[in-house]
Amino acid sequence: MKRGALIGLALLLLFYPFIFTGPFYWDIGVTFLLAAISASAWNIVGGYAGQVSVGHSMFFGIGAYVPLLFYQLWRLPPVLGAPAAVVVSLLLAAAIGMPTFRLRGHYFSMATIAIAELIRIFVGTWDLVGAAIGLQGPAVGRAWWDLTFRSELPYYYIFLGVLAVVLYTTVAVARSRFGFYLRAIKADERAARSLGVPVRATKLKALMLSAFFTSIAGSLYSIKTGFIDPESGFGILVSVQMVIIAALGGAGTLFGPLVGALILIPLQTATNTWFGGGGSGFTYILYGGIILILARFEPGGMHELWYRAAPRLLRIRLPRISHAA
Amino acid sequence: MLLKAEKIVKSFDGFTAVRGADLEVAQGEIIGLIGPNGAGKSTFFNCVAGDMVPSAGRILFDGIDLTRASAEAHARAGIGRTFQVPATFEDMSVLENVMVGAFLRRPHRHEARDHALRIIEMTGLAAQASQRARSLGTPGRKRLEIARVLASEPRLMLLDEALAGLTPAELQDAIGLVRRIHGIGVTLVIVEHIMEVIMTLAERVLVFNQGAVIAHGKPDEIVRNEAVIEAYLGRGHRRRRASS
Repeated sequence: MKRGALIGLALLLLFYPFIFTGPFYWDIGVTFLLAAISASAWNIVGGYAGQVSVGHSMFFGIGAYVPLLFYQLWRLPPVLGAPAAVVVSLLLAAAIGMPTFRLRGHYFSMATIAIAELIRIFVGTWDLVGAAIGLQGPAVGRAWWDLTFRSELPYYYIFLGVLAVVLYTTVAVARSRFGFYLRAIKADERAARSLGVPVRATKLKALMLSAFFTSIAGSLYSIKTGFIDPESGFGILVSVQMVIIAALGGAGTLFGPLVGALILIPLQTATNTWFGGGGSGFTYILYGGIILILARFEPGGMHELWYRAAPRLLRIRLPRISHAA
Repeated sequence: MLLKAEKIVKSFDGFTAVRGADLEVAQGEIIGLIGPNGAGKSTFFNCVAGDMVPSAGRILFDGIDLTRASAEAHARAGIGRTFQVPATFEDMSVLENVMVGAFLRRPHRHEARDHALRIIEMTGLAAQASQRARSLGTPGRKRLEIARVLASEPRLMLLDEALAGLTPAELQDAIGLVRRIHGIGVTLVIVEHIMEVIMTLAERVLVFNQGAVIAHGKPDEIVRNEAVIEAYLGRGHRRRRASS
């Protein structure tokens, strides 16, 4: 059943542009994939290791800014900036991970918010990166390597490829000793330590792996849109969206971020369509409402809800999806 | 000596929980630690396990100084521990819990899994292997903690009230399990309030009171010790002993 569901999901994602044709649906598909990539990247440290970063926009922003900076400064194809952005993100992750992983629970979350906000304010006043206005990529593609396509379709398949890599990595992590250690740390740090788990080093590795993919998500975003400013790169909503999507679907599960994105992105698109520009604040209300509902009724997200409700609704016995053993 | 804890002192903001306690454990021994609540047993235990750094004193394990080493380093050196309140990884299955311990010496998943399955069989948890830890009752969780530590292949196991709260039948099972663990060459230090466990298993007993070791010796010597009766066992014990 699990294998069948997986194949079904893969086929649906592969043929989605042919089932739902037209730029509107393709745009929703691309937005969904980007959200799923970002939330899956966050899920490695926030979901599996239980270190709830609310400052992941710092890695997304770096990933988004560096490619366009490569174009602005040296007229290089933005895609060449993506590996450089990854390096910067990894260095930042190491620099902030070492002191902040001394903190636990809410203190860690608050520290990540503070650092991300400081970076956003700094970037918003730094002329080299366009200060509050931001940066632009090539308006018209000079060659294919600028990755400026008229259609959403090529972006859809590039993003789908990246999502496949993120999910494959997540599965490999979850099945490895590293993945077991992450889940042990999330459950009980003291007990994990007593079994010889190198807690801080493991958390740091998780943050760096998460930063790696979040940075790539940022690069994909800016290369596709050809524009980035402090709010859309480093804004707190970018971080909050990753957290909410993963938590909605089920943090610490492989498909949780996908399910979360599958619910939230169409919902967001619908509210944007209904309320237009006048309802821009509605996103905050939507996020706030989801946080309230999850915290009060189902902290485990849709994943937990499904495993509790499905046996009663469908009169079937579901096997627990084991991550590894 | 496998473990040598010398003149351990642990203070918290002016309050001294352990005052110069000594403990020597030879390879293959079973040592019991007893004493009233608040006597400093758990604090001493935490220092030996690397969960707390002693304010003074020295901890040597197999000749290596672990006084200021982390709990991770203690585990790597071969000291495993259980917790007074079972600290199982609730959302992981029994097998996955035990695999976390097994990974310490067996980094490859298949090796860790095979080893964990052997330990699960030995500790009588095979029927619950795929269940989440949170679904187990207290006896099951305590057993799971023991299995998890055992999977990390310790040379010294510190059991912190691992047998408390069990029914008489479960207690006999658990005593059998501790004997099997001892039988495979693991040295044990047991903190326990149940005198039956101490009298049955321990070869030597240390008695803590008000942060210090007030007596040590063989179990039958300890139960006759006047200071121990006064501080811990109580006058009822003296009367029972006299009538028997």
